[in-house]
Amino acid sequence: MKRMFKRFFLGLALCALAVPALAGEAAALPGDSVYQVQSSLTDQDGRTVAWQDLRGRPAVVSMFYANCHLMCPLIVASGKALQKRLTPQEYAGLDLAMLSIDPARDTPAALREVATTHQLDLDRWHLLRPSDGDVRTLAAALGVRYRAQPDGTFNHTSVLILLDREGRIVARSEVTGLQPDAAFVDKVRETLAAAP
Amino acid sequence: MLAASLVWFALLAAPSPATSTEFVAIPGGEFRSTIRYAEEDAPRHVDGFAMSRTPVTVAEFEAFVDTQPQWRRDRVPSLLADRGYLANWQDADRSGIDGDAPVTHVSWFAADAYCKSVGARLPDWSEWEYVAAASPTQRDARGDATWRARLFDDGTPRGIDARANAVPNAYGVSGLHGTTWEWVGDFSTLMGDADKRGGEDGDRLQFCGSGGLSFNNRDDYAVLKRVALLSAMEPRSTLGNLGFRCARSTP
Repeated sequence: MKRMFKRFFLGLALCALAVPALAGEAAALPGDSVYQVQSSLTDQDGRTVAWQDLRGRPAVVSMFYANCHLMCPLIVASGKALQKRLTPQEYAGLDLAMLSIDPARDTPAALREVATTHQLDLDRWHLLRPSDGDVRTLAAALGVRYRAQPDGTFNHTSVLILLDREGRIVARSEVTGLQPDAAFVDKVRETLAAAP
Repeated sequence: MLAASLVWFALLAAPSPATSTEFVAIPGGEFRSTIRYAEEDAPRHVDGFAMSRTPVTVAEFEAFVDTQPQWRRDRVPSLLADRGYLANWQDADRSGIDGDAPVTHVSWFAADAYCKSVGARLPDWSEWEYVAAASPTQRDARGDATWRARLFDDGTPRGIDARANAVPNAYGVSGLHGTTWEWVGDFSTLMGDADKRGGEDGDRLQFCGSGGLSFNNRDDYAVLKRVALLSAMEPRSTLGNLGFRCARSTP
């Protein structure tokens, strides 16, 4: 948590120094890192965080929306089940980030409610709301498709995506039930072992 | 009301800082799309919005690359553009080709970033199709078999709007049926597979995995061809005859 805060304030400082500093940091990123997309998000506590703040640790990310009663709880459950399969050390090394595809309704309060309902460990989980214009850009970078339906719900790809510490996509796991598939869990452990 | 319209008009007419992109106000309306998503059957309502009068040009894109050099072809990360990106330019910062021509060899990410840089966005497919249904004389010319037949030439030098002096359509928009195809913001939803439905119904969840898209009018081959082309693209893909234009929601 402390570390996340540090990164957050570092991010703020970099923002204050304006774009060249960020561009300098991005230049050192691998070309295929999803953190090549520059985006500012709001978390469940209303704090502004940079998408690149996730850089530095392996992460499992997914896209969802709070007002979703079938697939989205499965995504969260699947992420929690994944955490249960990890040793305490592995658990502490993995961030989980859920990006909203419904920024109009997924206010920090709505995201906070998801965290409470699912009893998420907010030292590890980050529920993030992108700006309106960035949802499509982030979805494109992650290979997530979504479409608003007339009744206010969304069609969307339900997938857990494993990123290495530099934001390269290592593996994807379609969410089909409460448990992530075994091969994906193995990849997560491998990636955590490789991270310094 | 009048004052508000005037302000909106002034906003539309005002050149953006980086470019001289002109936007045309498009009134909203009911529209029966040629394509149909699984969840929809009724005609779709397209809200009023603004669309750029012409496709984004090579000169406009040069100005963008100049102010945002991370989009130069020698600096763009592989996540955001493939190796064909701006491959037809003489140098990384200078095209050496006709500045008035629509820019091509651009990825979806680059088009998305360009539109954001002028305070705009890519048009959605339904917005694009709605405006592209217009001939010079009719807002929905799809009943005109002769006009429609000519759309087979979209994306080629024989396209209806390919010549520089081609007449704008009934909305005052040019180039929708020219030598270049155009990206749309939600192009990735034109393909149904890999979708999972977020609703309550378990059966539909299964159904949804097999694809959410079908066609209302199988005779509209030109649109089918366009959808097939766009659905085959990755957001980092580029093509020598694929460009884009921008749109703005009505405030």
